[in-house]
Amino acid sequence: MKKVTVFLLLISINLISLKLVSAQSKAEVLIRNATVLTAAKGTLENADILIKDGKIARIGKNLKASSNARTIDATGKFVTPGIIDCHSHTMMDAVNEFSYSVTSMTRIRDVLNPTDIAIYRALAGGVTAANLLHGSANAIGGQNSTVKFKYGKPIEDFVIPDAPPGIKFALGENPKRTNFNPTPGATPRYPRTRMGVMEVIRDAFVRAREYKKSWDDFRAKKTTVQPRRDLELEPLVEVLEGKRLVHAHGYRSDEHLNLMLLADEFGFKVATLQHALEAYKIAPEIAKRGTGASIFADSWSYKLEAYDSIPYNGYLLWKAGVVVSINSDSNERMRRLNVDAAKMMKYGGVPEEEALKMITLNAAKQLGIDRRTGSIEVGKDADIVIWNAHPFSVYSHAEMTMIEGEVYFDRQQDISKRAELARERETLEKMDINRPPGSGGTPPAIPKEKRQSHLDDADSDKDGGNRR
Amino acid sequence: MKLQITNYELRIIKPVFNLCLSVFLCGIFSFVQAQNDGSQQNQTGKAGTFAIVNARIVTVSGGVIENGTLVIRNGKIEAVGATISVPSGAEQIDAKGLNVYPGMIDAGTNLGLAEVGQGAPATIDVAETGDMNANAKAILGINPHSSHVNVTRVNGITTVLSMPQGGVISGQSAIINLNGSTQNEMAVVPLFGLVINFPRITTAAGGFNPFGPQQPIEFSEALKRRDQRLEDLKKLFRDAENYARVQDAYAKDKNLPVPQTDLKTAALAPYARGEKPIIFTAERERDIRGVARFAADMKIKAIIMGGQEAWKAADELKKNNIAVIYTNIYSLPVRDDDAYDYLFEAPAKLQKTGVKFCISTGDGGAEVRDLPYHAGLAGAYGLPKEEALKSVTLYAAQILGIADKVGSIEVGKIANIVVTDGDILEPRTNVKYLFINGRMLPLTSRHTELYDSFKDRK
Amino acid sequence: MKNFILRFYIAIFASFSLGLSINAQTRTETFAITNARIVTVSGAAIEKGAVVVRNGLIEAVGANAKIPADARTIDGTGLTIYPGFIDANTSLGLAAAPAAPQRPVGQVGGGQLAAQTSQPQSNSNYPDGLQPEEYAAGKLKAGEAQFETNRNAGFTTVLTVSRDGVFNGQSAVINLAGDTVSQMIIRAPFAEHFSFTTLRNGQYPTSLLGTFSALRQMLLDAQRLQTLRQVYDKNPRGIKRPETDKSLDALLPILNREMPIVFNANTEIEIVRALDLAREFNLNAIISGGQEAWKVAGRLKAQNVPVLLSLNFPKRTAAASPEADAESLEVLRLRAEVPKTAAKLAQAGVKFAFQSGGMTSINDFLTNANKAVENGLSKDAAIRAMTLSAAEILGVGNRLGTIETGKIANLTVSRGDVFSKDKTITHVFVDGKLFEQKEKPKTTTPATGGTQPAATATVGGTYSITINIPGQPLEGTLSLTQQGEILSGSLQTQLGTTPIKDGKVTAEGFNFTTTVELGGSTFNLDVSGRVTGNQISGTMTTPQGAVAFSGTKTP
Repeated sequence: MKKVTVFLLLISINLISLKLVSAQSKAEVLIRNATVLTAAKGTLENADILIKDGKIARIGKNLKASSNARTIDATGKFVTPGIIDCHSHTMMDAVNEFSYSVTSMTRIRDVLNPTDIAIYRALAGGVTAANLLHGSANAIGGQNSTVKFKYGKPIEDFVIPDAPPGIKFALGENPKRTNFNPTPGATPRYPRTRMGVMEVIRDAFVRAREYKKSWDDFRAKKTTVQPRRDLELEPLVEVLEGKRLVHAHGYRSDEHLNLMLLADEFGFKVATLQHALEAYKIAPEIAKRGTGASIFADSWSYKLEAYDSIPYNGYLLWKAGVVVSINSDSNERMRRLNVDAAKMMKYGGVPEEEALKMITLNAAKQLGIDRRTGSIEVGKDADIVIWNAHPFSVYSHAEMTMIEGEVYFDRQQDISKRAELARERETLEKMDINRPPGSGGTPPAIPKEKRQSHLDDADSDKDGGNRR
Repeated sequence: MKLQITNYELRIIKPVFNLCLSVFLCGIFSFVQAQNDGSQQNQTGKAGTFAIVNARIVTVSGGVIENGTLVIRNGKIEAVGATISVPSGAEQIDAKGLNVYPGMIDAGTNLGLAEVGQGAPATIDVAETGDMNANAKAILGINPHSSHVNVTRVNGITTVLSMPQGGVISGQSAIINLNGSTQNEMAVVPLFGLVINFPRITTAAGGFNPFGPQQPIEFSEALKRRDQRLEDLKKLFRDAENYARVQDAYAKDKNLPVPQTDLKTAALAPYARGEKPIIFTAERERDIRGVARFAADMKIKAIIMGGQEAWKAADELKKNNIAVIYTNIYSLPVRDDDAYDYLFEAPAKLQKTGVKFCISTGDGGAEVRDLPYHAGLAGAYGLPKEEALKSVTLYAAQILGIADKVGSIEVGKIANIVVTDGDILEPRTNVKYLFINGRMLPLTSRHTELYDSFKDRK
Repeated sequence: MKNFILRFYIAIFASFSLGLSINAQTRTETFAITNARIVTVSGAAIEKGAVVVRNGLIEAVGANAKIPADARTIDGTGLTIYPGFIDANTSLGLAAAPAAPQRPVGQVGGGQLAAQTSQPQSNSNYPDGLQPEEYAAGKLKAGEAQFETNRNAGFTTVLTVSRDGVFNGQSAVINLAGDTVSQMIIRAPFAEHFSFTTLRNGQYPTSLLGTFSALRQMLLDAQRLQTLRQVYDKNPRGIKRPETDKSLDALLPILNREMPIVFNANTEIEIVRALDLAREFNLNAIISGGQEAWKVAGRLKAQNVPVLLSLNFPKRTAAASPEADAESLEVLRLRAEVPKTAAKLAQAGVKFAFQSGGMTSINDFLTNANKAVENGLSKDAAIRAMTLSAAEILGVGNRLGTIETGKIANLTVSRGDVFSKDKTITHVFVDGKLFEQKEKPKTTTPATGGTQPAATATVGGTYSITINIPGQPLEGTLSLTQQGEILSGSLQTQLGTTPIKDGKVTAEGFNFTTTVELGGSTFNLDVSGRVTGNQISGTMTTPQGAVAFSGTKTP
């Protein structure tokens, strides 16, 4: 026993020293003379940002940094907080567990893959964090993972440690599965209607409530035999206890409203309505509950339940006092969320800073990570993007993206590295082991034409793809 | 507006060799006639004489007029310049602080052919069944009352190419203006390019069956199938040429046996003879070079649609006078090793090579209104801003062969005009006035209607 | 009457066991290999010495070892004696599993197929593939002939387990000799094996997501079952009897750290996932595969997790084609990096053993071990990775892995250094039984025979065949495309062209199923056959009976 304690002590000392080292190794950074869109306290002209230990240490003019600090001259450039995508399936080796209508036992954390090239491409679009969600094939899907895109780091570094846990729900066409070909010979899964979807959710919460009671009774010593731990119901108990955020995919306003009513009944709050393209029809009901809306800027008509979607949705929700974020649900669209936010100014007239919040601070609020990220404020993580032009201009692109003061994307570096990569390829291809067999051999892979990028996540399952 | 009738159509309209075919073609002919003056036919919007004054006029073809006037009459641009006087009776629009642009053109959509992408197959008319559908005509499938029409035009897009897709020979596209109560009111060129999916190495089983099982096949097998499809295609072309020769011969000499009619082959003939352009979808360098060689071999007019790697094949494209409709701004690079901006900067690279190109959304309809942002994004990655604007106006018109009618602000062109409060490619910019065929259109759509219905709900 | 039957049985058993003992006696010859170089692994190499083998054990070893008078002496001049080589993960001796059904197309529609394609073979509460109680030793085929190829390559001992399912089942350490399964087994069960894969037929888990949650729930349920039993055993009255569950029971030794769990994991992220699971449930984990293990060497060391490192190095098999895309940098880099893994693990102090990893030719084992040496691994460490380290990881280090007195007499004898190109394995001793190799021309032929899943026949090609339907022979074309064990292609006859399904290539030949439409009905055909040279032959079984077919390869 003693040995174990000593051992643990040693490990923790090691960990502490490691942490200290890594914290120290994060160099001081001074971004000079930028136009800073803070997403909290307006826009600052000719401002400096001093970053220490990965945090924003000071914001102001003519700031001084220590002699070994890296100074970035951002004259003529624009700085925003890192973009946060509140609905994504990037870096997931699996998206949907299709089998059951309730798959709350699954955890996105288990299938995160830090090598997905889509992460880098998102960084190049200024995205630093994302809400990674289970697909929408199930009325109640799996547990989410809130991450920062620390591309190149081990997977445990991606996960934001103090982000509250969440879970995916889904309403409408996707959990009904009526748009999808059933497996030949398979019994169709319940539910097949919106009626059934609501009953699946109700049933799950009834079971969760009973499950919670069985544990409460046991803990109060009313029963003697410890109940079985049920991984399906545990996260739902957390929802009932307000400890887990519900991110509910849905389109039609009626079903989102029905879910909120069910939540009222069971005593929890829905954290975000995802997609929510008709949410403008029930803006007051959403605002009253403090539920957030995470929407596409202006997608519509790609499925029947998205036919009443309007680009004014964001504006109407904002006007009603709803916290609105704009998400991508797509590795492709993720790269241009800044333009999506700009559209909010066009459709209805959301003010500039409020539009910027929809891809930064508001998403952080919806994910419960706004204490550490989402805006440029002293004390927050230095998750920062430097743009060559105003980020709401279509002609802008990200020059540099940093997370906690470390640079994860640098356009100049990316461009200068291309020749190096070409040389590396040349060397590698010349190696014996990489030469094609002299004769015979298996056929090469069929070249791909387009890379999949879907608007909606119900039919996505990367397991069948070409990923290794 | 008078449409050109191709030689081939005239040739086959004259001899009444087949009742069915001639009735059919006469139908097209008559609606082409009816297209004469859109301003008289279209019921939507307000006709009249308009003078937009104090405007910053971006003519696209002839520079920018910083403070000018533009006069619209009878559906046409009657006058434009810094010192134009306003005709009497003209409705005057003060455009102080505003910009005037030619309406934008999207040369690669399915607009009007596809309403609701998923869950409502009854609203989809994009792909006919089978591989060879040269006779399928987009103009006959376009829904003039699709809600996509208004949503698209209120963002400044006034003209689109709408095309069938699927199979190998998908059918004939149509160039339409985004206003009109009937298909022929909308038509700019009712029968434009034939769409062919250039055979490539693919796992697709062949034919268009998105619901069918896609069993993976092997490379060598895919290669074989690609080559076979290419051969099949060539044979179809030769058959079509032969078919037309027989028809011609009969037209000259009625003593010859009456030739059989085959609608599909007949439809292919003018394209196989190189009289009308063919739009080939192709993305990768090898396939684009394949199109160039195919066009040279078969002596046809080709346009590339897609064009991810067209800049790599610039030499062959230029040699064969092949233009590119680039539809991949909103696509992810295919290979992990591709640079992150590989498809963002492709237009800039194309432009440097001198290949004629335009930028298109390649969208089904609902998101065609994003066209300016596609062009703008190319502008963020190296394409000069003026070129970005041209890539969705004049260049598109040139590639579609309608530069004499639309694509820039010039006297005599159709008055497809957009007045904005900023750079038309910027997402924060609002459209303030919109003219199509010289009619001033209300800036309403399904979206504004729903907005109005719910905006005051408490 | 009863008595008689009983006596009859006893008689049979007696003769049976008598037969066995005679058999065993014939093999316990005593051997002495003299004047050989001895790589003991336990200590320094003996440049010139002898090893004495008696009764299946090493009786003596050393420069001055006493040669017994009754020993058959083998002059070992110019030979090197190694401890018998161990292949630390195979499926040797196990019947090839039936071809796994394809993942159904359109599965995204949701819903589950009844388990129609796979008849339930077990009365477990869990579906096929989620049954950790699957027991390799219980499925071993008896008979040592099946191991000839591997023995000839110098292997005396392997770990063997199925590759199917999420739970592959419990593995066994076996010697590659012995006529009965009992004689073969050294240690069974050794470990539970686990693959990050899914079930088929739309059954949970259909995705990697579900695989994790299914494993977690089963481990928790097993834990609870154990607790409930303890409570119940103390005083059953008033408590509902805990259910018996053989699948959960099989997880208890893993949870109690009495049995390791082997995770099949090659990429960095897979290994990390395995390590995370091991930490979550305090499991005694082993990584099998480990191509990218060097990237996580620190964690492997910290968690004391050994690696059964595959020597099946990725190599380019794809032919060049101007129509194909260039290979990705990731793939190119991986091939260059994998041979360095062993050296990097050694440097980081991670314990590892070599395994064949399903390589197509077992001769690649030593070739690639040598590549590991060329990439920085010491020769000693390489030998250790196929002898003592393997034995230790497999929990048999006290009886195997070194040449020491009293250990099992598993020896591999070679002419020339075992890593040199012109080496020959001359003698292999398994349990003291000598398998002598004829000195044969040194060509690296693909391994044939045996039942190693990778040792597959080569059957790809297009064949003109005649199906000998009595009185009505049917001509056709059979196109077979082989990718390792997987067979695809089509059967073309005048009845039409149908794709082949569930195609599998075995060591002997191939089998697949297909359908034929005739008179509006669809008939299933089960086809099996073999290819010899350019000849193909086999049978097609229909519900109406079997017919033979034969044909030749078309060039």
